Formats: sequence, structure tokens, C-alpha cells
Amino acid sequence: MTASRLRPFVLPVTAIALLALPWLLGGANVVFSACVIIAIFAVMSYGLDVIVSDLGEVSLAHPVFFASGAYTTSIASSRYGLDPASTLVLTVVVVLALAAAIAFVTLKLREFVFSLVTYAVSVVAMTVAANWAFLGGSDGVTGIPAFEFAGFRALTDRQLWPLAWGLLVVVLYLVSAFRKSRLGHAAMTVHLNPALARMSGISPEIVRMKVFLVSAPITASAGWLYAYQRAYISADVLTPYFLILMLTAVVLVGRRILLAPLIGVAIVVTQERFLSYGAYVDRIILGTLLILALSFLPRGLYGLVVDALSMLRRKKSRPLDERQEV
Amino acid sequence: MNLAQQIINGIVLGHAFALIAIGWTVLLGVARLVNFGHGQMYMLGAFITWFAMSAWGLPYLVAIPLAMSVGVGVGYLMQRTMLNLTIRQDLVSVMIVTLGFGYVIEGAAALTFGSTGQILDTPLSLMDIYIGDIWFTWQDIAIVVVTILVFIALKYVIENSPVGRRVRMVAEDPKLAQLAGINIKRVYLGVFAFEGATVALAAAMVAPRTPILTSMGFEEVIITFVVVVLGGIGSVTGSYLAGLGLGLFTAFFGAYVSSAYATAAMFVVLIAVLVLRPGGMTQKMGGH
Repeated sequence: MTASRLRPFVLPVTAIALLALPWLLGGANVVFSACVIIAIFAVMSYGLDVIVSDLGEVSLAHPVFFASGAYTTSIASSRYGLDPASTLVLTVVVVLALAAAIAFVTLKLREFVFSLVTYAVSVVAMTVAANWAFLGGSDGVTGIPAFEFAGFRALTDRQLWPLAWGLLVVVLYLVSAFRKSRLGHAAMTVHLNPALARMSGISPEIVRMKVFLVSAPITASAGWLYAYQRAYISADVLTPYFLILMLTAVVLVGRRILLAPLIGVAIVVTQERFLSYGAYVDRIILGTLLILALSFLPRGLYGLVVDALSMLRRKKSRPLDERQEV
Repeated sequence: MNLAQQIINGIVLGHAFALIAIGWTVLLGVARLVNFGHGQMYMLGAFITWFAMSAWGLPYLVAIPLAMSVGVGVGYLMQRTMLNLTIRQDLVSVMIVTLGFGYVIEGAAALTFGSTGQILDTPLSLMDIYIGDIWFTWQDIAIVVVTILVFIALKYVIENSPVGRRVRMVAEDPKLAQLAGINIKRVYLGVFAFEGATVALAAAMVAPRTPILTSMGFEEVIITFVVVVLGGIGSVTGSYLAGLGLGLFTAFFGAYVSSAYATAAMFVVLIAVLVLRPGGMTQKMGGH
């Protein structure tokens, strides 16, 4: 069997291996908990990945989409008794309205002005969440019921894991399909050459708006599951941690690599869960990772590995006498 | 609420905003760079001043230059780390790196100074002045005086000194400036160090007005954004006037509407300016 024949099986096999991973790693509760968080935060990061890697802009408003998913779910389920399917639909509706409003205001803004305004959106959202009684103010929203739908009930992280894995797989499929779609190609054209995009009949503004509307529900769906996992939501979901984590996940391994944000989140969460030096030192580590990745690894860890491998290969393929001379 | 009191509050707050934003104005105007770690550098300046005075017993006038020196060091280190990105004008990466630096500074500050709120009392902030119903402190007067002096000095240096000429040349065209013999790396490093120094000075002057927390940087930077947008990029005079206008707006909004939503109100101003003056943020760099 040739490699091209095997290719269609790679993703399904990887997905199934991923599902079995917590059991393969010993099946302890902490492992399930870490896996669920990695899956949720990876889904959160994929929304931003589409904006950064494909559209070439840096949206700093994505924590707001994550938070809007978490708040919509927590309020709709705890106060109005909506089931998970309804809260997911409501989350998508709310976040699409929010993303459309932000995209409309920032339609003509690019580069740092776009980032600046989206950053301001995050800061303002945090002050609103901490002060608005409807969102629970500084106390947050409590009493979120356990995830229960069509006879499936998930109380613990072990029970939530298949759900988190399912959401991750769906999002991986969506991002992969987006990159192969006309919109994905248009986004790359706008990213690489906006003038050429216009010449070929693509409107950069409309493409940006559409990509924003694709990306926001992905990040919000992570917030939806996070609300059930945590059972309590407060303005903490808007702290800079989520923004820095998303950005690190997107740039650490490499851009436009499907599994890169997942691996990036896995590295960060594994360090925080199993090799933690305390919350403050962990913050320093996370920030330093982000700085180092961008300043010294422009192609991310993937680029570093590829360069190292090609250097090794070159060394091996060099004639013996040449190697002896060195 | 007394109207005259709010005007005084607004004027002091406005000068404070202008002083906090001055480093960013130069940074954006000259290097076309942004620093999302600005708020955390402000926080660090405030804590260094507080620590120098409360733990080491240093006088306020010694604590200020000490905080500024740390600011210079942090600014230099930040720019040294991302110098290649700056020269390539890779703004997207520069933005994210400065966010990362902000996060590291916040973590390091919480580790060193603890996460509980502190009060930075200075000899000037404890001296009250009453004129009828109006109240302010000598610290408020110092903020206004120092801001005016810094703005006059900066305007003079940018317009009349050899350093200012070199900086304006880099703002105009970094590549041609390099061909003309200007060491652009040194200019970029200098501008970042200057930003570090001024934001630390602003922190030492302004932070005594409110309790200080290691987490306050995240929100602080919004003030800077709005001042820079309102003033027009790189405009020293514009920043001063924008700071003043925003200070008065915030004082009145806080007194008559809601102090909790003052930041949100500033954001509405930012959006209004961007929608009404969409070209405002893309005007020519290096203006003064």
C-alpha cells in the first residue's frame, strides 16, 4: 500500500488514538481533567488560529467570544433551565451577533489598529462582566447544572472527556474544511496580497467579515463546554491568561499546521498541571514561551525540528572523506 | 457634586493621562511600533516606587529616578529581544511579543510584591489644599507641573535637537535614514528606553492617586490607546490636548454617570473617533 492510499486513514486513526489517550496514560482523574481542559482550550484557540494564520490579523477580542459562550450557557442553563443543545444554539446566535458588531466596527481597520480596538473590546468586556448584575457581577454565575442530554449525563471530567474529544474532532474537521474552501483560499489571498485579491474580484472587507463569523462560534463553543466543566463562570474567563494562552498555542508550534494549536495548548497545560512552579512562575513561563517563539523561532517549534532534521540528513549524506576533513 | 471640583479633577486626571501616554505617542510616531505591555510597565513603575519608599525607606525624589532606571532597562530589554522584528516592521509579531512581555512583567511583579493591593503614599499626596469647597493635593499640582514640563522638553528635543532630527528621520523613512548614516537600531532601542522611563515617571507621579495592584496594567493601557487615537499618531501637542479632554470627560462621567463604567465610556469615545475619523489612525507618522 502506498503512502497516498494510507493518507485517508491517518486522521481517523489519530482521532481514535486521541480518544484512548487518557486511558493509555493510566486513566487517573487528573489525566482526564487535563485532557478535557486541553481539548476545550484547543477548540478555543482554533477560532483565533483561523484569524491569525489564515487572515493574517491578530484579533485580541477572542477571549470575549469564549466568555460569551461561557456566560450564555451558564445563564441559560442555570436561570432558564435550557438543555445543552439549546444552550449551544443560543451560544452560536449570541456570538454571531457579537462578532458581526465587532467585525462591522473594525471593518476598515488593519494591523495594529485592528488589534488595538479588539484588545479594548476585551478590557471593556471584563469591566462590564465584573460590574453588570445580569452577568452576576463580581460574584459570577453559579448553579450551572451537569451536562445532560438524550440520556447522556456527564458529571466528572472522565464522563466529559468523550464530549470534549468529539467537539475537538468536529472543530479540527471544520478548520481543515475551511482551509480547503473558497473562503479559506480567499482569506489567504487577502492575507498575502490584498491588492491582488481586489483584482481577482475578492472584497477583503467581506472576506474578513465572513472569516470572523466562522471563527467566533468555534471559540465560543469552547466556552459552552467550559461552563459545564467548571459549573461556575465569572469575569475570570476574561483575564489575560486566556488571550496569552490562545496566542501562544497559535504561534508556538507553527502556523497553518492543523494540529499545531492542539499541541501548543497540550504543552502549556501539561506544564501547568504536572510541572507547575506556582501560578506566578507559570505566568512567567507562558509569557516567555510566547516571546521566544516569535522572536527567535519565526516558523515555530515545527520549523526548528525540520531544520534540525535536515541538518542531520545533510551531515549523513556528506561523503566520508569530506566528513573526515571537518 | 461640585462643578468646580470636577473641573479640577478633570484637569489633574487629564494631565495624568497625557503623561501616561507620552511614551506611546513617541513610540508610535517614531518607530511605528506599539507596546501592549505599556500598562504592565506602568504597574511596575508604581510598585518599584512603592517598594523603594516602604521597604528601603528611600525618599520619594530618589525612588522616582530608580523606577525610571528600571523602566529604561525593561524597555531596552524588550526592544533588544525583538529588534529583528522591529527592523522587519513585523508589527503583528511585535504586538504579540509585547503582550507576552506584559504578562511576564505581571507574573514577576506578583511574585516579588505579592498580589494584594498597596497604597503609594508620597509626602506630596498627604498634603491637602482646600480652597472653599474644592479639594486637591500637592501631588495633583506636581502631576500638572511635571506633565507640562515633560511635554515642553519633548517638543523642544524633537523639533530642535540633533537627537530629535535623527529620530524624525527614522520616522520618515527608516531605510533611507540608515543609508544617510543613522544607526536605526540605536534609535529604536533609545525610543523604547525612553518609553520605559516616561511610563515609570508617570507611574511614580500618578499612582499615588489610587490603590496599586499588580493586575492593573491590563486596563491601564486603554487610556493610552484613547489618548493616542484622539491626539493623532505621534502628535505631542495633540496627545496633551487629547489627555486633557479625556480627563475632563472621565471626571464628569465618573461623577454624574458611573465610575465603574468609565473605561467602557472611554472605549465608546475610541470607537466614535475611529468611525467618525477613520483616517485619523493612518495619518503620517512622525508628526509633532
